[in-house]
Amino acid sequence: MNHNQIHRFWRSAAQCLLGSIVLAVLTFVCFRLNASVTTAALLYLIVVVLASLTGSFVLSAVLSITAILFLDYFFTAPFFRLTLSEPLDAVALVTFLGTALVITSLMSKRKRAEEVLREQANLLNLTHDTIFVRDMSNVITYWNRGAQELYGWTAEEAIGKQAHQFLQTVFPLPIDEIRAELLRTDRWEGELTHTKADGTRVVVASRWSLQRDERQQPVAMLETNNDITERKRAEQEIRKLNAELEQRVIERTDELKATNKELEAFAYSVSHDLRAPLRHMAGYAELLQKSAASILDEKSRRYMTMILEAAKRMGDLIDDLLAFSRIGRAEAQKTMVSLEQLVKEALNEVRPETDGRNIVWRIGALPNLYGDRSMLRLALVNLISNAIKFTRTRPQAEIEIGCVDGKENETVVFIRDNGVGFDMKYVNKLFGVFQRLHRAEEFEGTGIGLATVQRIINRHGGRVWAEGLVDRGATLYFSVPKS
Amino acid sequence: MNELGRILIVEDDPKDVELTLTALEEYNLANEVVVTHDGEEALDYLYCRGNFKMRTGDNPAVLLLDLKLPKVDGLEVLQQIKSDEKLKMIPVVVLTSSREEKDMVASYKLGVNAYVVKPVDFHEFVNAIKELGVFWAVINEPPPGSIRRK
Repeated sequence: MNHNQIHRFWRSAAQCLLGSIVLAVLTFVCFRLNASVTTAALLYLIVVVLASLTGSFVLSAVLSITAILFLDYFFTAPFFRLTLSEPLDAVALVTFLGTALVITSLMSKRKRAEEVLREQANLLNLTHDTIFVRDMSNVITYWNRGAQELYGWTAEEAIGKQAHQFLQTVFPLPIDEIRAELLRTDRWEGELTHTKADGTRVVVASRWSLQRDERQQPVAMLETNNDITERKRAEQEIRKLNAELEQRVIERTDELKATNKELEAFAYSVSHDLRAPLRHMAGYAELLQKSAASILDEKSRRYMTMILEAAKRMGDLIDDLLAFSRIGRAEAQKTMVSLEQLVKEALNEVRPETDGRNIVWRIGALPNLYGDRSMLRLALVNLISNAIKFTRTRPQAEIEIGCVDGKENETVVFIRDNGVGFDMKYVNKLFGVFQRLHRAEEFEGTGIGLATVQRIINRHGGRVWAEGLVDRGATLYFSVPKS
Repeated sequence: MNELGRILIVEDDPKDVELTLTALEEYNLANEVVVTHDGEEALDYLYCRGNFKMRTGDNPAVLLLDLKLPKVDGLEVLQQIKSDEKLKMIPVVVLTSSREEKDMVASYKLGVNAYVVKPVDFHEFVNAIKELGVFWAVINEPPPGSIRRK
């Protein structure tokens, strides 16, 4: 027996005792006043009804039996004598008992039902959800503790009020539409805004269920609400942050675009304005060389040649730099391109550089690549041209172009030569703009070629790297992702 | 030497003008050359107005046009020429320092007849000018209404 059951037992026992005493005293008073049997019976019935209203079936039955026993033993003659042999007395006794039993059983049944209801209502009070019930004219008939906690009104304050006015409900749809859906499907879900007792607004996720009676007539609406004010606020915060982020991206993009535009204007200006004076220097130096040829000595003629060579080199540098910057600015137009075809075209382009040279070409099987045709071609021209240049000191140059097998996500292409190579400790400088690993008189160049290659491959999402040994040749690799 | 068509040079840089004339002179093509120094002057020449009010109305056999010009730039001059019924037949050669693709595309879209990037190397420059001069002023049959020296 747990604590509750013990408690209930003692309460019932106390009630039994008290009821019996009350009954006995009342019956005693009744007969003292010379009341008739009918009056006694009526009074008895009233007492039984009252008893059954407060007690259980068992309690009522116990009360009835006790009362009869009291009547029989304590209040016999001279006031009244119950004789079981007399038919009238027997009938009266049976009627008493029968009536008492019927009434108590009916009452206790109702009581049970009420108790169940009360228990259920108590259960509803346990939940943190806000639950209240409205009748079909929206008057609140039930209000749980969750509702009290959320809205700040007690059940006593809320019950009997017109719900929508009481909570100043703001609906997402016209109320008629909501009602129509509720009547059609027996339920409705949506977000509502309510006003609490302290005047603050609260957003709730609301679920309505329709209760129908046995004849399927709607009788009440159960409304369950969850406070989502905080969630809504967080959502709004996230939306705001997103909008801000988007705005920032737009601003940054605009800034980048502006910078890009400036760069473009700069490159345009370099292309137009820097080349012109250079051309003039070269032009006038040339004219001077021609007109003063007869009076110039060997030394002066060499100076003139140096001036012209410098102008030529400056022109090359500007052209290469512009090409390099163009790769950064131009839109890459990617398609499937045949590497084999590209290599062929690149070899054609560098043919003049191979004049008078003894070069053994080894060209392996080459796959298709996904990329910008003209950019990739430029990269190949630069790489092959480098290989030709740095094998110049070899009686027989060997240049191999191939593809590394077994890569799943990327195509790796290499160009290997048996040229002068490089020291691996300078490998980081290989791909920098204006970085050169050889003196100008050994191997000419602007130092932009490999930087251009790197930029092209980076724009394709790939990598470039190199392996080399001094005097033992070099291998340059690049990778392009397979799309 | 055959008939020699008149060459209209539009070039704001005096050094470029001098070098161009030198190159043309070297091949005796410089006699029939008119030099204008900006886009406005070039258009004045073509429309016989301003300083050129008194000239006879014939068109030049070819126009060597720089792109970066004061007042009215080369592309605007080109656009004006190619959208005018009387002028649109004049062959226009853009002669510029720039290798910028967008200039090239814009020029061809406007209907330029040739696009030449001035080489830095003077020999190449002279060659380019000479070939331009010979082709447009001598070999090419200019449209009717062009000025030609017999």
